[in-house]
Parts: sequence; C-alpha cells; structure tokens
Amino acid sequence: MKLNAIVLAMTTALAALALTGCGDDGDTGAAGPAGQDGSTGENGRDYTAVNQWFVEGQATVSQASQRSVSDPAGKAKNVILFVGDGMGISTLTAARIYQGQQQGHSGEENRLSFETFPYSGLVKTYSANQQTPDSAPTMTAIVTGVKTKDGIIGIDDQAIRGNCASGQNQSVLSALQLAELAGMSTGVVSTARLTHATPAATYAHAVERNWEADSNMPQAAIDAGCTDIAAQLIDFPYGDGIEVALGGGRTYFMANGTTDPENGSNGRRNDGRDLTSEWTSKYSDSAYVWNREQFLAVDTRNVKHLLGLFENSHMQYEADRQDDVAGEPSLAEMTSRALDMLKQNDKGYFLMVEAGRIDHAHHAGNAARALQDTVALSEAVRVAMEKADDDTLILVTADHSHVFTIAGYPVRGNPILGLVRGVDDNGSASTTYSTDSNGMPYTTLGYANGPGFGFGNDPINSDSYRPDLNLYNVTDVNFRQEATVPMDSETHAGEDVAVYARGPGAQLVTGSVEQNMLFHVMNYAADLVNRAEANQQ
Amino acid sequence: MPRNLFLVGALALWCGHASAADFCPTVADSQNFGLQYQLQGAQQGNLQLLRSHAQTAYYNPDNGVGEWWDFKQASHPNFYRVFSQQQRRIDYYTGDLRTLNIHVSQTEIESFAANNLRQQLTLVGDGACADSQRYQGDYQGVHYELLWSNSLQLPLSLSTRRNDRTQQWQATAVLSGEQVTQQLQQWQQFTDTDYADIGDNETDPFLAQMINQGFVEHSEHAVYNSQGQPLQGAHQH
Repeated sequence: MKLNAIVLAMTTALAALALTGCGDDGDTGAAGPAGQDGSTGENGRDYTAVNQWFVEGQATVSQASQRSVSDPAGKAKNVILFVGDGMGISTLTAARIYQGQQQGHSGEENRLSFETFPYSGLVKTYSANQQTPDSAPTMTAIVTGVKTKDGIIGIDDQAIRGNCASGQNQSVLSALQLAELAGMSTGVVSTARLTHATPAATYAHAVERNWEADSNMPQAAIDAGCTDIAAQLIDFPYGDGIEVALGGGRTYFMANGTTDPENGSNGRRNDGRDLTSEWTSKYSDSAYVWNREQFLAVDTRNVKHLLGLFENSHMQYEADRQDDVAGEPSLAEMTSRALDMLKQNDKGYFLMVEAGRIDHAHHAGNAARALQDTVALSEAVRVAMEKADDDTLILVTADHSHVFTIAGYPVRGNPILGLVRGVDDNGSASTTYSTDSNGMPYTTLGYANGPGFGFGNDPINSDSYRPDLNLYNVTDVNFRQEATVPMDSETHAGEDVAVYARGPGAQLVTGSVEQNMLFHVMNYAADLVNRAEANQQ
Repeated sequence: MPRNLFLVGALALWCGHASAADFCPTVADSQNFGLQYQLQGAQQGNLQLLRSHAQTAYYNPDNGVGEWWDFKQASHPNFYRVFSQQQRRIDYYTGDLRTLNIHVSQTEIESFAANNLRQQLTLVGDGACADSQRYQGDYQGVHYELLWSNSLQLPLSLSTRRNDRTQQWQATAVLSGEQVTQQLQQWQQFTDTDYADIGDNETDPFLAQMINQGFVEHSEHAVYNSQGQPLQGAHQH
C-alpha cells in the first residue's frame, strides 16, 4: 500500500508537469507570457510533446514495452559474437562521442551501432584466480561457459598455467566447436593474431596463451603431447573444419627459414610445417590470402574454407591501416565477407569477430587509436546487423576493461581528445581551459597508470610535475594521454564490462551477470549442445 | 636499471675535443661493418654502432642492451630492443612506434645522430684521416667539434663543451662485417615479444619488470624525443 501510494503521487506529479505550459520562451531566454493549461496543446508549450529528451525516452520505453521476452530455446539459427578486446565502458562512452564528433555533431548523443540493441547488461570479468583478468580466461568464459585461470585457454581451472600435463583431459568445448559438431558453419575474425588469446579460445586448448607456435613452447610441453595454438587451428578436428579464419599472425603459421612476404621476418615454426599450405591441402575449395587485394578477389560463393593472414603479427591499428604495405581489409570488410560465406549453410553459422587492438592501444596509453578501433568494431557490427537475418542472435561485449578515464567537467561538444573546457556561469563554454590546482590544463581522457607518466624529457611544469599541455597537440592520433602511475604498459581494469544483445534469446542478457553466463545465452538461444548431439546421430 | 636509455645520456653529453683523430678506421664493406665508440669525460662508457645494409643497431656492451632498427621498408621501419643478459627481444612494429609517438629519421639513426648536427657547424678543414673533415661551431649553447668520415657518413670523433662540462665520443675500433652479422643473427634467436603484448604478460618476470618498473622508456628514446625530434644539437629543418 505504501509503495502504491508513492507511485501514485509520482504519477500525479508527472501528470501535472506534463500538463503545465511553459511560462518562458526557452529559445531566447526572455520572459514569455504567462503559461497556459497545456492540455490541449494550444497556447502553452507542453514539453512532453516537444522536449527531445522526454520524447525520445518515452519512445524508447514504448518500444521496450512491446518486446517479446519469451523466445524459446533454439530459436536462433545463427550466432554472431563480437568482442572488443579491452573495450571497457569508458571506452564505449569515449568512442561514441568520438564517432559523433567525427560526423560533425557534439558527440554525446551519438550511439554506436550496437548501442541500439534492445538488451544489455553488465558482465563480471574476474577469472578463476585473478580479480582483474587477461583475455585468456575471459574469452574462455564467454565461449565455453567455464571460468578458468589467467593465461589458460579452453581448459578448466583445474589446470596450472604452463603445465602441459595439468591440462590434459580438462579441455572444455567452445560454442564454435559445438557449432561445428552441429553441422553449422563457423568463422573466426580478429585484428589481432589469430593465435592470440581471444580468437584462440574459440578453437584451441592451451595451458599457456603464449604457446602460439611450437617455437614458443618448452620442449617438455611438446614431449608431453601439448600442441601449439596455430597448429590447433589447422588440425581442428570438429565437424568439417572452420570455414573462415581471418586475422594476423602469419609467421606463426610459417616454417622457420621461410620469409614473410610482406615484412621479411622469419617463420616461427620449428617443426617445419607450412600451415597455410596445409590449410589448402586439407580442405577442398579452400583458399589462403595474405593481403586485401587477394581477399577481395576471393569468390565467396565457391570458396568453402578461407584462411586470411594479413600481417606477420597483429594487424594494423585502424588508424594505420590505409598505410599498410601490402594492404589489409577492415574489420567490417572481413565481417561482411565472412558472413557471405557462412550464410550459405542451411544449418546456420557461428561467427566470432574480435576488435583485438583496442586493448593494445590502451596498453600503449594511446586513446585515439583505441577509439578508432572501437568505431571500426561498431562499423563491423553495423554490417552484421544489415546482413544477418532475424534468426540471428548478435552479442557484443568485451573481455575486460582498462584503466581509462573520462575526467573533468567539459562542456558538451568539447573535443573528446581535447583539453577540458568547462562551462561559465551561464552554462556556456568557458573562454579558458579548466586547470588543475597548479593552473595547468588537462585532457578529458587519461589513464590511471601507463607510459604517459611524466612525458620523459619533454617540458614539464616544475610546480605540478605535469607537462604543460598547452605545448602539445593533444588531439593528434599519436598523442599519449597522461597517466597517474608510471608503468611502461598500461594495465587492464577489473570493473564490469557491458554486453549488448539482439535477436532470438537476446532477452536473456539483462542485469549483472557472470561472464561465463554469456556462453549459456548463446547455447540456449541456438540450442548448440542439443543440435551438436543430434547431428552426431 | 635506469629509466633512461643509454643513448640518451650518451648523445646528450657529447663534449671534449676532436684531437684524438689518430684512429682512422679501414672498412672493407661500408654497408656491413661496426664501429666501437668510447665515451670520455664527465661520463664514461662504450657504445657499438652496427651497420648491415638497411639495418643499424646501437649496442651498449657494458649493460648488454641494444636498439636495432631495420629500414628495409623505409616508411615502415621495424625496431627491436635486445637484452643480451636475458636473451630477450622486444619487437616494435610501425603501429607500436606510432602509439609511442616515435618518428625517426633513417639518416639520423645511421649517422650516430650527427648528420643534421654537421649541417649546423662550420667546415674548418680536412681531418687527419683520409676522406675526413673537421667541423666546429656552437649550437644551442653547446660548442661542438666533429671529425666526420665522408666514406662512412659517421663521426670519428665528436666532442661537446657546455660551460665547464666536456664529453667526447671517440671511435676506437672497427668491428668486421662478420662480427656484425653474427651479432644480429644472435639477437634474431632471442625470445621475442611484441611490444603490444607486454601488457598481457604481467606474469612473465622479465616483462613484468618492464611493466612495473618501466625500464623500457620510449618517450625519450635514443636520439629522438617523444615528438620525434632529434635530441641534442640536431634540431634543425
């Protein structure tokens, strides 16, 4: 009764507000005629009909109220999982503003493509043994439903990192592996090395994430029967094999003694295997490409297994992609053509797409590149939204966050990469920058730790021990944001990340959830386990 | 491990006199050789410049740390830091260098950061060594004396004097092409890590040291500051 009374009172108050005309002319700030009863829409200005904040919020609730929340298990034929590596919530906020400002708007009102999804939630990222995790256990949690220890991929937390024997018989199946067993087509796309922790967790099992090529492994581990991650991609035993694998990491697939065609670096495989040729030998109607021109020339109707390795290590940051020597496809291009191939399977598909270099730019304390790679992920999701049919569950999430902050009280529309300029007494943009206690300006974006501490030998104000940012082009793509604690590599952060969902089963994504729950959402939505079992009979 | 790179201290403190021009190196292949430099004066130390065609490395034999540039693709140089004692190597790709705001000049790297400096000084005559020239002059409050090898495009001696503080880099020995090749091949075999991956490997003791103690510092990298400008005496254009 008490709660109902409060609700009733609030409803009454809102109704009164909604029906009261404005007494002032809000456009000019000048006093207007006395307000009228706005109930008819005449004379007075009913803000509930014209105020953009009110109207758009109302529309959002209206749309939400019409959603179905009862999708049955297995309604999703396909699953697309997007992962922004290190894409914490502050990264999302900054990237959305960045993209909006690049489009000529103030930015804050912008929405990344996946921020339009109807369902979202918060994800707890801790691993089985660390409060703040790395990508190996977090992606393992997302794609297998099992949390494990840091550094471990596709093996449960009974294993000890780097101990081959401890991981034997402890492997856990991933959504991609289940999809293959179910007869679906599968794809892995990343701007990082395909052997890097996040993409690797979809297809490999390793007690050490760094065992990307056999040369990275101790001989004892090889003798004990463990295999490197690159080999596991090629030797993949499930279903009819992965259909699409696109990313970086070429030298991990090349024999020692062979030279990278673009970079000139040496192959990393001590076993002498040329895994790229093994790919084309293993699969009929297959192709291997290593630059954008070759990639765009692939006949996606007839090529059934495509391996693309576009860099000897990680692919370029989006900011540098156009400058690549041999040419690289964008994440959106890779997503688009992957979907062209995968959609040909009537049994459906599973695709994982990772924006792998958001994480690396943050580690370097370079916000601009992190934001540009986040926008590139948004573009890839947009492509998927356009190409995927309604029977497709799309999830967008991150594996972990970074110590990336959005500080101060910048005026709306202030350049997100710029110095903080606040508002004056009238609420308009100040004529001067906001300053710290020593009178020094500061940027909106910064890091709690990392290489941006002190700026090395560059000009530092002796009072504040901070650089005088008036002397720097802080919006330059190469600018390195300040950091509070000196570290040569900025670190991950332990707070929750976001997850966005649309499509069948998306309603399951809500509230604050454990990261491993995301696998179960995909499994429920696409009925992966049951489809896999049925396909074996 | 000091935060600064060995070259920062080294190149920033050129001083002394180019009087020790007695050492006249003979190099069989000007594209494949090394020069040993000795630093004298207020600071002392040794530094090796290794050249193998488009590759140039600076190696401090005293602490086993080296910096290795590969300009085979001049617009996309590869950069490596080598740590001989740990037999580890950190690889920096073009994008990594850009995130660190490091922009380098191949000419400056290959010239011991002396090519631009030379153009600020006055030619005062031929040096004692064949095909060498002597330069001197003041630049940004520092008096320089340079003995320059035209054939090697390198200083044979470079000294600075600022107030009463003097320092001198003096070439003292030639390293053969075989020695250089062997050294680079040895570094090639070191366990390597991409710079981009350091942050994801906090459990690796070597890399953790980098993360937490910051002994790889790039903002003041070698002959360039974080704005990509040559350090000490080479600020011209």
